[in-house]
Amino acid sequence: MGINKILKDTLIIAWIKSYPDFRRNPLMLLLLAMISAIPLFFMLMFSSGGNVIVHGLIGAMVSSVAFAAVMSGIQDISWDRYVKIREMIVAMPVHPASYALGIALAPLLISIPSLVLFGAITAYLGFLNVERLLWIVPALLTVWAAMSTMGFMISTYLFKASPMLLNNLSNLLGIGFIFIPPVYFSEAQLGSLSWISIIIPTSNVAGLIRSYLGLLPLSTETLIIRWTVLIAMTLAFIVLISLKSKWREN
Amino acid sequence: MRMEAGAVKSVGLRKVYQSKHSGESVEALKGVSIDVDKGELFTLLGPNGAGKTTFLRIISTQLLPSDGDAQILGYSVVNEPEEVRKHIAVVPQDVATYNNFTPWEYGYYFARLRGMNSVEAKKKAEEALKAVDLWDLRNRICQTLSGGEKRRAIIASVLSSDADVLMLDEPTSGLDAVARRGVWSALRELIGKGKTILLTTHMMEEAEMISDRLAIVNRGSVVACGRLDEIKALVKERFRVVINGEFKGLSSYGETAKLGDRNIVYLKTQDEAIDLLKDSLKMNLRAEASPVTLEDVFVKLVGGLNNNGNQ
Repeated sequence: MGINKILKDTLIIAWIKSYPDFRRNPLMLLLLAMISAIPLFFMLMFSSGGNVIVHGLIGAMVSSVAFAAVMSGIQDISWDRYVKIREMIVAMPVHPASYALGIALAPLLISIPSLVLFGAITAYLGFLNVERLLWIVPALLTVWAAMSTMGFMISTYLFKASPMLLNNLSNLLGIGFIFIPPVYFSEAQLGSLSWISIIIPTSNVAGLIRSYLGLLPLSTETLIIRWTVLIAMTLAFIVLISLKSKWREN
Repeated sequence: MRMEAGAVKSVGLRKVYQSKHSGESVEALKGVSIDVDKGELFTLLGPNGAGKTTFLRIISTQLLPSDGDAQILGYSVVNEPEEVRKHIAVVPQDVATYNNFTPWEYGYYFARLRGMNSVEAKKKAEEALKAVDLWDLRNRICQTLSGGEKRRAIIASVLSSDADVLMLDEPTSGLDAVARRGVWSALRELIGKGKTILLTTHMMEEAEMISDRLAIVNRGSVVACGRLDEIKALVKERFRVVINGEFKGLSSYGETAKLGDRNIVYLKTQDEAIDLLKDSLKMNLRAEASPVTLEDVFVKLVGGLNNNGNQ
C-alpha cells in the first residue's frame, strides 16, 4: 500500500472521528476547554498574583492535548471494537497505521480551539513569542503522542474489558495525569520530589514549557534528559502495542 | 481479479478456538468447502453457533484459519489479504452506527476510504442511499433513525464501496418485515448489477426468498449445499400436514414432530396428505396440508428431530 494512500486514509479517519463533533457537538469543545480551565479559575481566585496565572495557562494547554489524547486512545478503540466498525475497516483496503494515526489525530484536531485560546492569553500576557512557540509546539505534539500511545496500549492489553470499564478508566487516567502531578503548578513546589514530574508525561512537558517560557530554570542536560524520557516512553508504548496488537485475529 | 476464478472458494477451512485458561479447544469449523459463483447470492444458513460468522470472518480476512484456505476472486485470504480487501466489503453481525454520523457520511466516507476521489464517492454514496431508500433521510444523524434505517445506513456504506463481493452477517436480524424487504430488494438489485453476495442468516424465510443457492451449516460442517429445490429434494417427504389437537396413532402415517398441542406429519405423496386430512376431519380436528418448507428440511438435516421423530 502506497504512502499517499496511508496518509490520505489517516486524514479521512481523523476527519471521521472529529468532524461530527465539530459540527454537531460544539458544546463538547467548550466542555473540553472548561475542564482544562477549571484549575485556572481556582488559581485566579485564591492566588496572590505573580506568575501563577501563566503556570495555570501552561497546565490548561497541556491538559487540552493530553486529556483528549488518552481518552480517545482508549475510548475510540474500544468503542469501534464494540460497535464492530473496526471489523468493517479491517476488511477494507486500509492500512492499520492509518487507522491508529487517524484515531490519534482526531483529539489533536479537537483540542486546537482550546490550545489557540490558552495560547492567545499566554501571548497576550507577554509570555509567548514565535521563538518560544517553536519549542512549545513540538513539546505539545510529543505529549500528545505519549498520551495517545499510552491510551492505545491500555486498550490493546485490556481488549476484553467492557467499554464502560475502559471509559471510566480513561476518565480516571485523564484526571490523574492532569490534575494531580505538577501540570498546573510548578514542580518546584514538590521540593526534593520534583524528579517525579519527569516520569509523568504531562508534568514532564509542563516543566519543559515552563522552562522555555522562562518560568523554571533547567540546565541543558536536564532538558535533554526530559525530552529523552518523553520520547523513550512513547517508543516504549509503541513497542508494547506492537507486541500485543493484532489487526487480524488468529 | 484473476481470470477463471470463482467469487468465493473455500477448501477445507478449519478453525479451532483454544481457551487460554482451561486449555479446552472448540472446533468451530470442521473443514468447510464452499464454491460461490460470480453474480450469485449465496446464503449460509445455520443455527446460532453453527460457525457461520467464523466462516465469514475468515474469508473477509479478519481471522486466520487453523487449517485450509479460501480464495476471493482467486486471491488467497491467508496469503494475499491486501488483494482480497480491495474486492470485498463486509457488514458484521450486530454492527452499530456512530450516533452522530449521517447516512450520507457513511456512504461518502467509506467510499473515500476505498480510494475513490470526492466526485466518485459522492456519486456512489448517492446511488447506495437511493438503493436502500435512505436518500431522503441522508442528512439526519443516526441517533434519530429507527433500527432498520440505521442498518440500511450501514448497508449503504458497503454498497457505496463498489466492491465485487459483499459479505453480510445476518444483515436483517432485528428488522421488521417492511425494513427486511427493503434490504432484500436492495441486495437483489445488486445481484442484477453483477455483484456477488454472501450472507449468513438463521431465518428460513430470508434464505428462501433471496438466495440463488444456499448451504446449511451445522456444528462447523456443511450438511447440505445447492439450490432451494435441490436442498428440499434431500428429504424424501414432500408434504406436511399440521393437525391441531390430539390424534392417536399419528406416527403410523409418517414422521411426526410435536409442537405443543399441534402435530406436524411429514408425508411422501399428495395422496397420503389428503388421506390424513380426511381422517383428521372425521375426528373433528382442524388440519392443513402444504408442501414441506425449507424450515422442515433444515430441522431434519440439522438433527432437530429425535429418534422418535419428535422435536
